Amino acid sequence: MAVCVAVIAKENYPLYIRSIPTENELKFHYMVHTSLDVVDEKISAMGKALVDQRELYLGLLYPTEDYKVYPSHQLCRYGYVTNSKVKFVMVVDSSNTALRDNEIRSMFRKLHNSYTDVMCNPFYNPGDRIHSRAFDSMVTSMMIQVC
Amino acid sequence: MSRQANRGTESKKMSSELFTLTYGALVTQLCKDYENDEDVNKQLDKMGYNIGVRLIEDFLARSNVGRCHDFRETADVIAKVAFKMYLGITPSITNWSPAGDEFSLILENNPLVDFVELPDNHSSLIYSNLLCGVLRGALEMVQMAVEARFVQDTLKGDGVTEIRMRFIRRIEDNLPAGEE
Repeated sequence: MAVCVAVIAKENYPLYIRSIPTENELKFHYMVHTSLDVVDEKISAMGKALVDQRELYLGLLYPTEDYKVYPSHQLCRYGYVTNSKVKFVMVVDSSNTALRDNEIRSMFRKLHNSYTDVMCNPFYNPGDRIHSRAFDSMVTSMMIQVC
Repeated sequence: MSRQANRGTESKKMSSELFTLTYGALVTQLCKDYENDEDVNKQLDKMGYNIGVRLIEDFLARSNVGRCHDFRETADVIAKVAFKMYLGITPSITNWSPAGDEFSLILENNPLVDFVELPDNHSSLIYSNLLCGVLRGALEMVQMAVEARFVQDTLKGDGVTEIRMRFIRRIEDNLPAGEE
């Protein structure tokens, strides 16, 4: 399932980023970073339509095959943007199980709900990095070890 | 939680998120204003006390409960009527001391702490200490000196929230002449 989950603030700095194979964290950071351009592109391309339909899910950003560490795995990046322009990016390993669009969508919805709970925590200042145990454990539940 | 205008026995609905967030804003502001958690706890208790001494009038007017004959009856009224009316929950009463002057209110879910996660630097903060103050203030107005404190808190990793109540004494002095 998900190998990397990132929450990006409106101003495009990371609020939260976690990946499962921790030794390749930087690689994932690059992947998430490069996909932000695609997110921006998608938003501006279909911005009007998105707002009208209140559709937050951006769909597949693009697949990556040149992932050197686990060559047999195909990784796909998916994007989701809230109405407040907070972006969620998920890198998904789709080599063994073909995840359906619907499942990705529901994972994003789960992530969004959890993010909302974090925002509602009075001790959290909007714009800070997220250090929440509840959020952490929710993300963990969405990730499974690759290999 | 209900407005002055339509005071009745039924309670008016309000958004629980609004209530929770308002309380959260209050507590975090206190944390900013005071240096350490003990001061915040004290301040919450004081605010609760001030709420309690007023709230008891509202409670007695709306609930039509009569005078309680013993502390057990008081405990029942607090849990089944007062908590239900103001917070929409019914805590259970357990752990009576043999002398019958101490009991615990077990709150399965505490509406004040939805969404809240205590940060590590506030480990001694008693987030819901306001409730203790309310209980103390309200009971003081009906001639009962009590002590209320949190012994378990879901925010600190416990399974339930437990408020320990201890009856100290009856306040005789405050009785107006001619009553009883």
